[in-house]
Amino acid sequence: MKKSARALAALLVAGLTLTACSSGDSTSGSGGGSTDAAAPGAQALDQAGGVTIVEFWHSMTGKNADVLTGLVDQFNAAHQGKIQIKAEFQGKYDELVAKYKASVQQKGTPALVQVYDIGTRFMIDSKQTVPAQAFADKDGYSLDDLDPNIRNYYSVGGKLAAMPFNSSMPVLYLNTDAFKEAGLDPAKPPTTLAELGDLAQKLTKKDANGQTVRYGFGAAIYGWFVEQLLAESGTMYCDQDNGRSNKAGKAVFDSAQGARIVQWWADLVKNGYAANTGRVTDDAQAAFKSGTVAMHLESTGVLRGYTEAAKFTVGTAAFPKVTASDQGGPVIGGASLWISGPGHSDAEKRAAWEFEKFLTSPEQQAAWHTGTGYFPVNRKSLDDPKDKEWVAKYPQFQTAIDQLKATKPAPATAGCLLGVMPQARKGVETAIEQTIKGSKTAQQALTDAAKELQPAIDSYNSSVG
Amino acid sequence: MPTAPHTAPHPRRRHRWGEHGLAWAFLLPSLVVFVLFIGYPLGRTLYLSAHANDLFGAPSRYVGWQHYTDLLTSADFRRTLVTTALFTLLTVVPGVLGALVLVLLLENRIRGVRLLRSAFALPFAFSVASASVVFAVFFNPASGVINGLLSHLGLGPVGWLTDDRYALVSVAATTVWMSLGYNVLVLSAGVGSIPGELLEAARLDGASGLRLARSITVPMLGPHLFFLTVVSTVHSLQSFGQIHILTKGGPDGATRTLVYSVYEKAFAYGSSDFGTASAQAVVLLVVVLACTAVQFGVLERKVHYA
Repeated sequence: MKKSARALAALLVAGLTLTACSSGDSTSGSGGGSTDAAAPGAQALDQAGGVTIVEFWHSMTGKNADVLTGLVDQFNAAHQGKIQIKAEFQGKYDELVAKYKASVQQKGTPALVQVYDIGTRFMIDSKQTVPAQAFADKDGYSLDDLDPNIRNYYSVGGKLAAMPFNSSMPVLYLNTDAFKEAGLDPAKPPTTLAELGDLAQKLTKKDANGQTVRYGFGAAIYGWFVEQLLAESGTMYCDQDNGRSNKAGKAVFDSAQGARIVQWWADLVKNGYAANTGRVTDDAQAAFKSGTVAMHLESTGVLRGYTEAAKFTVGTAAFPKVTASDQGGPVIGGASLWISGPGHSDAEKRAAWEFEKFLTSPEQQAAWHTGTGYFPVNRKSLDDPKDKEWVAKYPQFQTAIDQLKATKPAPATAGCLLGVMPQARKGVETAIEQTIKGSKTAQQALTDAAKELQPAIDSYNSSVG
Repeated sequence: MPTAPHTAPHPRRRHRWGEHGLAWAFLLPSLVVFVLFIGYPLGRTLYLSAHANDLFGAPSRYVGWQHYTDLLTSADFRRTLVTTALFTLLTVVPGVLGALVLVLLLENRIRGVRLLRSAFALPFAFSVASASVVFAVFFNPASGVINGLLSHLGLGPVGWLTDDRYALVSVAATTVWMSLGYNVLVLSAGVGSIPGELLEAARLDGASGLRLARSITVPMLGPHLFFLTVVSTVHSLQSFGQIHILTKGGPDGATRTLVYSVYEKAFAYGSSDFGTASAQAVVLLVVVLACTAVQFGVLERKVHYA
């Protein structure tokens, strides 16, 4: 009797494992794959009955979190008794991904999760999500309103893996008062690295003791800026067309173009024309806001903070190109929303999709854009009267709009898809520090960084299979 | 004793058993807590340190000592160990000695000594995070207070946190400031517990100032100094917040201590390398144990317990 009970239990366990495996298989191959079956139709919500609760993890803080909460409340009110979105702040992007990984291990993923741009490859490889494309195809929902460059970033093989939500772009910030004081015209901002270097020299001001009171240039040692400059010059960051045509197996940021960018940066610091405030972005922002730095690279997301805090007129210009002949453009940064597949009911998936559609509608994106300074992912938002009024009030934002419109979607401007992208970025940051310190040339530092990164890429790719 | 079961157990033995039982019963809660919150994590860390990780950081396959041999042959890790040792020296020595000097100076009967004593103990009330943020503002190379003062003297600017020659010293200085409050508090209490007649006798013998400090106050503070040294060393080896807020281990790894390295491997930059991180955590445990053992073996012999 005992024996047969044990056998029965073993069979049950085996059966459960098998079904678990097969259900896993049916949702794998996500991320632009052909998994339309995984996307439930509209009837899933009706069949569910009651309130479907969607746990939503995000990384928004401060003003951005307030605006997001407002949007969530609005959606919940409109779907009362049907859907309830439970938004939960889970720390900064890196911390959120760390928690998300733990939740996968414990089989308790949130139904909807906001993940930063450079986590895209990991999210695809995690095989935990249902691509946005699958829902759109199921519904015949058009994704054409999405900005093509933004859509390009989150697409693999032409299929949208995640719904873009908050997008930002780097621009060149100018202290126009400093320009006028130095007898320069802020309406003629630098467009190339060489011009930026020349102007930085002219804008650097020393006092009677020979102490620098204002630096011409200053930006955080943030690998993102190097990624942007490479994209501007149409150069790849990793192989396989930035990991777009096939899975990337190698970082190629140690190209001549990469070395040129890093060397340029380090030389400006070494010559005393650029302030080195280190990796902490807050410190670089403080230096610009206080007027100690005249030209500065940052995301559009901080524009409102700058215009409110600075005692001078804040100007913006297009992010510089490496050389005048460059054909590229900026890579869109920010984050996108991923819908979880395994372990979630059809109703949950469907409810998460409804929320995604709501968040990216023209009206909500206009509210999001004007409330936060993030770039609207929906092209129609820019035609919204409220949005137009806002751009008229903050004309500095027009720079970002023009910049994105001028960019043609291409692998270089789509950005690199690499599972270990955060580590690649860190390697480039170390290379910048080493070049500034003078312990290595830019070329040597970048080559070493790429070499050190290789084992991480290999082990990542082998664990993904 | 085969006949024993028929007779009642020896009253004394029974009594002792009952006492033991009671002792275990009292120990049980702390034992459970110990096993749950120290034993299990430690065991888990050892287990993880012998395994490779999958995409999500879950242990995937057994690799034995691989992570440890990788660490011991890595130049980066050796640098991390050296940085950790330097950081510990730069925080413990000035932290304890600085507090001792302050407390000895406070022994002089000057006006407002109570106020000063509370003022020096004040850093104790600051959290690591808020103190670090304040120091970050001080150290800012472009708009910081310290470089502002220096420029009035015609000096600088110094990249306190961005120049790898100064970064570790700057973070250590912040840590010393933060630990000073607690150290002053402990030593002040120690001074207060020195029997008055001892100081009085020494004074009658003509001792004062330095002589009094050297021959009476400092030796009598022995147990307190020893305690502070051990505790500061452990604290220093485990410092995280100030490094994270001020430098994030940079520039170019100049402030990457063992704890910070563990964090980087496990949680930062999406690496989820819990295997290597756990191996480093085990190394940290061994280092802490070794330091404490050495301190007990060498220093404690010289401590005079009154």
